[in-house]
Amino acid sequence: MLSVTPQHFLILSFLLVGIGFLGLLIRRNVLLMLMSLELMLNGINVALLTFSRVGSNLDGGIFVFFIMTVAAAEVAVGLALLVALYKKRNSVLSDDMGLLKN
Amino acid sequence: MSMETYLNFSQDNLWGELWPELSLCLGALLVLGFDLFSKSSNAKKRAGSLAIFFQFILLAAHLFDYLLLRHTFDRESFSGMLKHGIHQDVMRSFFLLSSLLVSLLGHRYLETRKLRVGEFHHLTMIATAGLMLLCQTQHFLVFFVALETVALCFYPLVAFDRESPKSLEAGIKYLIFGALSSALLLFGIVLLYGVGSNPEAWGTTLSTVPSSDAFSFSFLYQLLSENPNHLLLRAGVVLIISGIAFKVGAAPFQIWVPDVYHGAPMPITAFLAVSSKSAGFFVLINLVNGPFAGMSEFLLPLLGFVATFTIFFGNLAACSQRNLKRMLGLSGVAHAGYLLVAVMASMLLPGESDRAVWILFFYLFTYLLASFAVFGVMGLARVTDDSEHEFSDYENLAQKKPWAAFVLVVGIGSLAGIPPFAGFIGKLLLFSVAFETKLFLSIVAMVIGVVISIYYYFGWIREICFHPRPVFEDDEAKHDPWKDVGSVGMLKPALFSLVLASIVLGLWQGPIGDAF
Repeated sequence: MLSVTPQHFLILSFLLVGIGFLGLLIRRNVLLMLMSLELMLNGINVALLTFSRVGSNLDGGIFVFFIMTVAAAEVAVGLALLVALYKKRNSVLSDDMGLLKN
Repeated sequence: MSMETYLNFSQDNLWGELWPELSLCLGALLVLGFDLFSKSSNAKKRAGSLAIFFQFILLAAHLFDYLLLRHTFDRESFSGMLKHGIHQDVMRSFFLLSSLLVSLLGHRYLETRKLRVGEFHHLTMIATAGLMLLCQTQHFLVFFVALETVALCFYPLVAFDRESPKSLEAGIKYLIFGALSSALLLFGIVLLYGVGSNPEAWGTTLSTVPSSDAFSFSFLYQLLSENPNHLLLRAGVVLIISGIAFKVGAAPFQIWVPDVYHGAPMPITAFLAVSSKSAGFFVLINLVNGPFAGMSEFLLPLLGFVATFTIFFGNLAACSQRNLKRMLGLSGVAHAGYLLVAVMASMLLPGESDRAVWILFFYLFTYLLASFAVFGVMGLARVTDDSEHEFSDYENLAQKKPWAAFVLVVGIGSLAGIPPFAGFIGKLLLFSVAFETKLFLSIVAMVIGVVISIYYYFGWIREICFHPRPVFEDDEAKHDPWKDVGSVGMLKPALFSLVLASIVLGLWQGPIGDAF
């Protein structure tokens, strides 16, 4: 019978980080970019928990709480900025940004 | 576990060592509360004065504390998570000074542009507390939390002018790039931790098992110096360094710099340029001299490439800019390249407190003096759109406002590194230490970079001092940003003392010179 080993969790976490990174690069909607960022951070959390479990020490598990808190705060700030920008420009697409040019 | 174990833990937590950060946070709350409960707009204005006064007292108290009261350096607290030494105390004073100047610049800026007072000073002070904590950390958990505290204060500060879409756009861009860099940095930390928490499984060796945990710098120092060729460890180190390179704006992670500098309010541009960059460099030099010391063979060529690329990119890109804020941002990228050479020199010199570290401090300090002088004067101009400072706005400033032109020219001269200003001494020391450590290729890059930078800095000086374009009688009247500057108040003596310090340090280094 196949069993789920730590390697599988690591592959999952690397995949999540990779998907998040790619999403950040190719998405044109800032809202989706923020979601991709969340995905990256969650992938990192999975890796941390796997390492923490394999190495049987709790430090990684504790770190995860801090990352979750920070990610929540980051998204709160990001959404607030996005709402303010949407009120001004009626768009959340990164193509429509471009006021900052030489 | 018995009670005595907990007693040891709690006695290890020397909260008293953190009094500047704690009182800064308290002061920040005080300012916010004052702003919240004062009814009239006149009373709200006083929140800014309160913030400036508070930070001034705190800076004086901190300098008094570490210069005169407590000389015992290299104290550790919180079970080795934080370290308080002379470097850390220098950087804490540096950040306090910088934050005080941001508040001073911001005070007038907010008043003329009708922006909220309390939040601005509150966020500035919290960011400074985070920066101060960041430079004392010896543990990646505290490191990450402090870094994010700073970043989370900077995002709203960059987007502080909510009425301006440019400011908001800059805020969003900074948030996306900043969060991406944090994620990369975090991934690096996780890789190091993954190997460190279970060394045998990843084929690494550890001669003795250290008592500290796998996130602490002392543990990682041992792990990395015993296994400098391990692939995962190398990947982790590269990811952490690239995360920091994002923060300092080193190439190839510099894309956000011109846009964010362009859109951010003027005092915040100065804050980003000085405090954020200095923190990045101090952290970098701490890491390469501390936990990553075992990997210097691998890191030196990497940093050398990044430094050279950064110098060339920053200077060449700055040449083509018409917008002054973008130009200053890109020249800041070039300065980051010069500072990276100091970091490399410090890796080659033995010990943690070598000459290169002190030269880095001196360079950062001269950069602070010059940057705040330049951004301070730029903040005075009543340009129609604050993000769009062009060369032509400074035309003939020497006749319109001689004192402002003087401050500006000294600031630019110091940034360009021409004698007799402090920036020249900073660059000279950098060259000498690079020569001492035989970084000849970097010296060549620096010389070429400095020569290119003369072009754009002196273009600006030419615009200020001389009258380059003839004026015809049938010309349309242009908006003159210097016509109604209004009262300058406290800012004028502050700018003049910055300029004075720039000139004095350029001619006479006094006791500071002994450190070199």
